[in-house]
Amino acid sequence: MGHGEKGRPAKKHKSSAKEGHRKITEVEDAFFGEEVDDDRDGEREGKKRDFSKLELKPDHANRPLWACADGRIFLETFSTLYKQAYDFLIAIAEPVCRPESMHEYNLTPHSLYAAVSVGLATETIIAVLSKLSKTKLPKEMVDFIHASTANYGKVKLVLKKNRYFVESPFPEASDSAFTFWLCTVLKKLLKDEVISRARINSEGSNGSDGFTISKSIGEIGTVHQDLLNGAEVATAVEQKETHAFEIDPSQVENVKQRCLPNALNYPMLEEYDFRNDTVNPDLNMDLKPEAQPRPYQEKSLTKMFGNGRARSGIIVLPCGAGKSLVGVSAACRIKKSCLCLATNAVSVDQWAFQFKLWSSIGDDQICRFTSDSKERFRGNAGVVVTTYNMVAFGGKRSEESEKIIEEIRNREWGLLLMDEVHVVPAHMFRKVISLTKSHCKLGLTATLVREDERITDLNFLIGPKLYEANWLDLVKGGFIANVQCAEVWCPMTKEFFAEYLKKENSKKKQALYVMNPNKFRACEFLIRFHEQQRGDKIIVFADNLFALTEYAMKLRKPMIYGATSHVERTKILGAFKTSKEVNTIFLSKVGDNSIDIPEANVIIQISSHAGSRRQEAQRLGRILRAKGKLQDRMAGGKEEYNAFFYSLVSTDTQEMYYSSKRQQFLIDQGYSFKVITSLPPPDTGADLSYHSLDEQLALLGKVLSAGDDAVGLEQLEEDADDIALHKGRRLMGSMSAMSGAHGMVYMEYSTGQKHGRQGQLKSKPKDPAKRHHLFKKRFT
Amino acid sequence: MMVNATKGLFISCDIPMAQFIINLNASLPASQKFIIYVLDNTHLFVQTHVAEMIRSAMAEFRDQNSYEKPT
Repeated sequence: MGHGEKGRPAKKHKSSAKEGHRKITEVEDAFFGEEVDDDRDGEREGKKRDFSKLELKPDHANRPLWACADGRIFLETFSTLYKQAYDFLIAIAEPVCRPESMHEYNLTPHSLYAAVSVGLATETIIAVLSKLSKTKLPKEMVDFIHASTANYGKVKLVLKKNRYFVESPFPEASDSAFTFWLCTVLKKLLKDEVISRARINSEGSNGSDGFTISKSIGEIGTVHQDLLNGAEVATAVEQKETHAFEIDPSQVENVKQRCLPNALNYPMLEEYDFRNDTVNPDLNMDLKPEAQPRPYQEKSLTKMFGNGRARSGIIVLPCGAGKSLVGVSAACRIKKSCLCLATNAVSVDQWAFQFKLWSSIGDDQICRFTSDSKERFRGNAGVVVTTYNMVAFGGKRSEESEKIIEEIRNREWGLLLMDEVHVVPAHMFRKVISLTKSHCKLGLTATLVREDERITDLNFLIGPKLYEANWLDLVKGGFIANVQCAEVWCPMTKEFFAEYLKKENSKKKQALYVMNPNKFRACEFLIRFHEQQRGDKIIVFADNLFALTEYAMKLRKPMIYGATSHVERTKILGAFKTSKEVNTIFLSKVGDNSIDIPEANVIIQISSHAGSRRQEAQRLGRILRAKGKLQDRMAGGKEEYNAFFYSLVSTDTQEMYYSSKRQQFLIDQGYSFKVITSLPPPDTGADLSYHSLDEQLALLGKVLSAGDDAVGLEQLEEDADDIALHKGRRLMGSMSAMSGAHGMVYMEYSTGQKHGRQGQLKSKPKDPAKRHHLFKKRFT
Repeated sequence: MMVNATKGLFISCDIPMAQFIINLNASLPASQKFIIYVLDNTHLFVQTHVAEMIRSAMAEFRDQNSYEKPT
């Protein structure tokens, strides 16, 4: 895998696949994460240690965090220093779990790489950390930080006036000993054959060894300085000296590759000096005055533009927290042509709308490129909004789109804005990134978790995570809705459960628990309650198309699924937004991402994709957009909870397993799920559907007579992430470092090949008792 | 009038679990069937020696349906 994959020794067995010993595992094992979960238990148990001997600093009560030798950091959120400490920790460590009073973070090579790339120096990290810690920093942690950051960020790849430079900037460049060392870094790189061949000896270079020496502005707005005494702020040098040499644009890929940890180990940071780019035409666009970025949006932009240049990377904000404004603001700062990629045509329309809403861009400077609308912008700079599929599409195109795609390929983009980066498969990313030339890439997402481990790929395809917001803080600030999450337990009826248990119905299990009449009644009850008592707008989610159709038809509500045309979708969504008659819509998983439905404030989930934590979080995100008056939403206000997320679960079925697993991501973000057991109330009789046994039996007959295909899951083009689950092809690696949720890693084991120097990787002896029930009887 | 007395175990449970036990019974060969009488939706009368077997089958079934977060 890429750079930054040097796990801490304790984790070696997971990350030792670095050298590319990628194994294909069998389908069965890939699907369930149980065995790996067990491994994790073992690993943690080994780490149980006695911390009672640690020496507390005398004023420990004023310091907000505990730092453990294994890299874990615990933050007290009730501390007066919480805000500053949080900003700092989020920059250097991965959040593991963030409940209300105590957060857990983990220092990883990835997170430290991200820290260095936003301009934090090794010494600053250690100094601030030891200031905040209640105890003396463990030596192991200090060593780990040193080891992980030693080479990161020492070399940058800069695109200036369309020439690529390898640059070695460092805040303490004034120090002569350091300058010497720095020159040796560049020299060391040049000793490499590939790099020295790629070097272009430019004229007019001054300084020793022909390096170009230039001054650049120091880090602006280093947020963490207030945590340090004046004496410690050695990093606040206003002017920095950088040494650089130019390389051949066609060799950039190769040079980058040589600098990865498995080769020279000087991973390159990429930055775009857009202010000095005189080659690419400027795009005259500004944020409208009424577009006021919120504090956390401002903060994420500061991380991106910290030193006056644009850094590539990923910004993580919950849905509804205003990702689009961050994207538009970034484009407005760079003021160059911008290519914006979304996941589907509906969100392309929404992005185009957002650009016009927040910025002063002219109508003829922005265009959409989808299968339905092929527009072109006038002038020499503009914004193009399109989908990943349109760009990466490999088949034959119409003449018109061929022309547009040619333009997209040939243009040099100032900013490549990528929405929902977590859903797009890595191979599509590679294609998009190799097809388009962009100076800076910004990825936006709400949930940096995937059920495959491809999250780590994003780290080097786009860049490190620049910022991640804390959900509960945004809720407290009233920026996103305060959601009441509930799991509604629906007992199976006798007849449905009898069929569920039968072996011959194993393929219909899902249909049986989704169509459980008690679940239907609970759903109907909730819809009625929220429509009539509260006047809410409701989305019902069902992955299972059979269930979606049955529910929607029976309740006479509009529905949208994969095959619904763009026109029809727009019409239904329009009606939902404006009409008082249409208060509930049924969505298949096409609604998981990107469909922006700000009006909705209730979600009822009747079926879902197995144990996907991402899907759960994305769906919750549909109702996170804050509504109503700010003061009403604050704790203790009129409407403390103004949004509702119900997950209907048939008890005693597999759905219980999936449901608790799906909730993990949200629980790690600090949400709690309330369990409701008596819905609908027992006194609701024939008011709701499927009250009589005859009706229930008729429904059961329908489920049983439907073909296995009809009751299965809907497959969409865009969810390759999920599809990958079924295919069972697995690459070795650890997604945990980037996902921040540390929840689950898939079972992987090597087949046959010897590992030579990677001795740590041993296939674990398998305890048959711990296997998933479906496989218990295998391999014994 | 003849009265027949059979010693057995009286099980009281919820509707799905009764179905689970009935299904378990049905999956066994005739010689091992243990249900003496299905009294109603939530009550069963079974042979005395199967208590432990039913308990462990039920525990296994529950385990399959519950997820525990790896800590």
